[in-house]
Amino acid sequence: MSPSITILAQHLLNGVLIGCAYALIAMGLTMIFGVMNIANFAHGEFYMLGGFVAFYLVSLIGLNYFAALPLAVVVVVALALVLQHAIFRRLREAPMMTTTLVTIGLSIFLENFALLLWGPQPQSIPTPFATKPLSFLGVYTTPLYVFCMGVTVALIIVGHVLIRRTRMGKAMRATFQNKEAAALVGIRIDRIYAYAFAFGAALAAAAGAVLGGFIPVEPATGGIVTLKAFIVVILGGMGSFVGAIVGGLVLGLAEALGAGYMPSGWKDAIGFFAVILVLLFRPEGLFKRA
Amino acid sequence: MQTLRLVLAVAVSLALAPYAAAQESVRIGVVQPTTGPVAYDGNIYVNTVKMLVDDMNAKGGVLGRKIELVVEDGACNPAQSVNAAEKLVVRDKVVALLGAFCSTSTAAVMEVAKKHKVPLITGISTAAQLTEQGNPYFFRAVATTPMLGNAFGGVLPKAVKAKRFAFLVLNDDWGRSMAASYPKTIENAGGQVVATEFFQQSDLQFLSQITKVKAANPDAIVLAANTQQAVALSKQIRELGISVPLIGEGAWTSDSYIKLAGPASEDVYGLVEYVYTIKSPINEAFVKAFQAKLKENPSKFAGAAHNAISIMVDAIRRAGAADPEKIRDALEKTDYNGIVGNIRFDAKHQAYGQTVYLAHVKNGVPEVVETAQIAKP
Repeated sequence: MSPSITILAQHLLNGVLIGCAYALIAMGLTMIFGVMNIANFAHGEFYMLGGFVAFYLVSLIGLNYFAALPLAVVVVVALALVLQHAIFRRLREAPMMTTTLVTIGLSIFLENFALLLWGPQPQSIPTPFATKPLSFLGVYTTPLYVFCMGVTVALIIVGHVLIRRTRMGKAMRATFQNKEAAALVGIRIDRIYAYAFAFGAALAAAAGAVLGGFIPVEPATGGIVTLKAFIVVILGGMGSFVGAIVGGLVLGLAEALGAGYMPSGWKDAIGFFAVILVLLFRPEGLFKRA
Repeated sequence: MQTLRLVLAVAVSLALAPYAAAQESVRIGVVQPTTGPVAYDGNIYVNTVKMLVDDMNAKGGVLGRKIELVVEDGACNPAQSVNAAEKLVVRDKVVALLGAFCSTSTAAVMEVAKKHKVPLITGISTAAQLTEQGNPYFFRAVATTPMLGNAFGGVLPKAVKAKRFAFLVLNDDWGRSMAASYPKTIENAGGQVVATEFFQQSDLQFLSQITKVKAANPDAIVLAANTQQAVALSKQIRELGISVPLIGEGAWTSDSYIKLAGPASEDVYGLVEYVYTIKSPINEAFVKAFQAKLKENPSKFAGAAHNAISIMVDAIRRAGAADPEKIRDALEKTDYNGIVGNIRFDAKHQAYGQTVYLAHVKNGVPEVVETAQIAKP
């Protein structure tokens, strides 16, 4: 392949890798928003917690990497359920302004909690994969990147199937569309809320645990993750799953290609520029709420 | 009534506490990021200063009085750093300030120092324009990026055996001034710059930038990043199949970097103001104390902290009084011999005379391969 094609392929591959991660994180955010009507500014903190818990399970307890990842998700989900039960259940009828402020407070709390507990040191999760890069016609990747991409794609599919094909998913979508009507036909809204919050946190934690292998995690990581997730959700349409998946990939590719072919200092501006365009010309997002 | 009286008594004594203590101890304020994006390095700075001050106090303090540190978090955020400095000067009545890590925050804190006429030393902020403002209360005990570039740019092509250099640096004053100052000296020494790319403070992955740099086919990559990003950068550069030497300004030879980056830290060069393998009695003593107390080898931020607090306390001693104005005058006459050699300040309060180091990481240990002296600007 000619060098410019190789470079393009490398940018595309980078974009898809990061885009899948964005999609996974944004799916959780959009789920919580859609079902619970909460703009969860603490979403990135679940990503950070997933990364840290996985790191401690692998490097301190010496747990097998492949066992540690799901276990880390379980731990974060347990915490999310406690938070949902203690805080958000009580705020079910509260206006969005209130819940938003609560999530901002929660995000500050969780970040500083992590700082206190684990210190400011960034950590990389040790993985069993060889660090030697794999080359395919001059396009480079590593076994870890391939694993990450595989896991994120698999989780996106699992999430999608869960929402589209299962009874629980149906109940969630019903709650999405009309909470009161859903309650009337016998859906237990409380339980749906808990599932949605746990599911959203699980996706973020899974992303944190998987990506923690090559993106060091530190207490302050959550902020930027939340920001990216919001960009994706606004791009894709608040509360739309397909929108989160497509939005994630679009943002990942736009950043990779934008930074690749324009001055790279503009990389973050690309996402915001896309958001401004979407808000101006298609304020409901690329996809309507599911 | 009883409780009310007690509460009042406690409140009054708390309110008066700073004044009572001010008479007994010499208060030095520290504004460093102990949270936020560079919290890790900021904490090293704070812990080092604390350790050294404990040691100085054990040896009798300064002017026959104890030194008391008051630490505030500036979070590498100009607004928060200003608030921290204001609080330290107005409420805690510190006579001198150390801070504030990130150049943008230091620029903001400088104004506070000037307003309240309190001397301020930075050991870390390298943006060149800080000392160009003629702020009489601001001193910089570290070489600026252009000064490092002048000292080392000409040495790089030979030292790392490379001709084609690519720059991949942080998109702020520091990275920008690096990308502006090094190329000239590198080109004078027969090298060339084939690519210049930037990344943001908040970036966690750099795959696009690395791919672009790779397309330019460099023999060496020059980087500017603090620990967090340095780790991710060096891993991701190797993961995309680039094996050329990396030359980093920032935390590139610190223990924590080497430990976190693992094999990706091999064959990395650090362009640093301090490295723990410097062979001199004063440094060896510092490293020993640091290892005993903090269980790792001091990084360049520990070195910066050592310089800043030592120079400040030295000035207080020579001033003969815990008076900000006298300390400022004494700082101008600084002639300090420390862990990186002799440091003096020029008319703009920029440090010169100190040694800077090019260290090469081999089997996890940074070895000094080249040194240079910062010339009087």
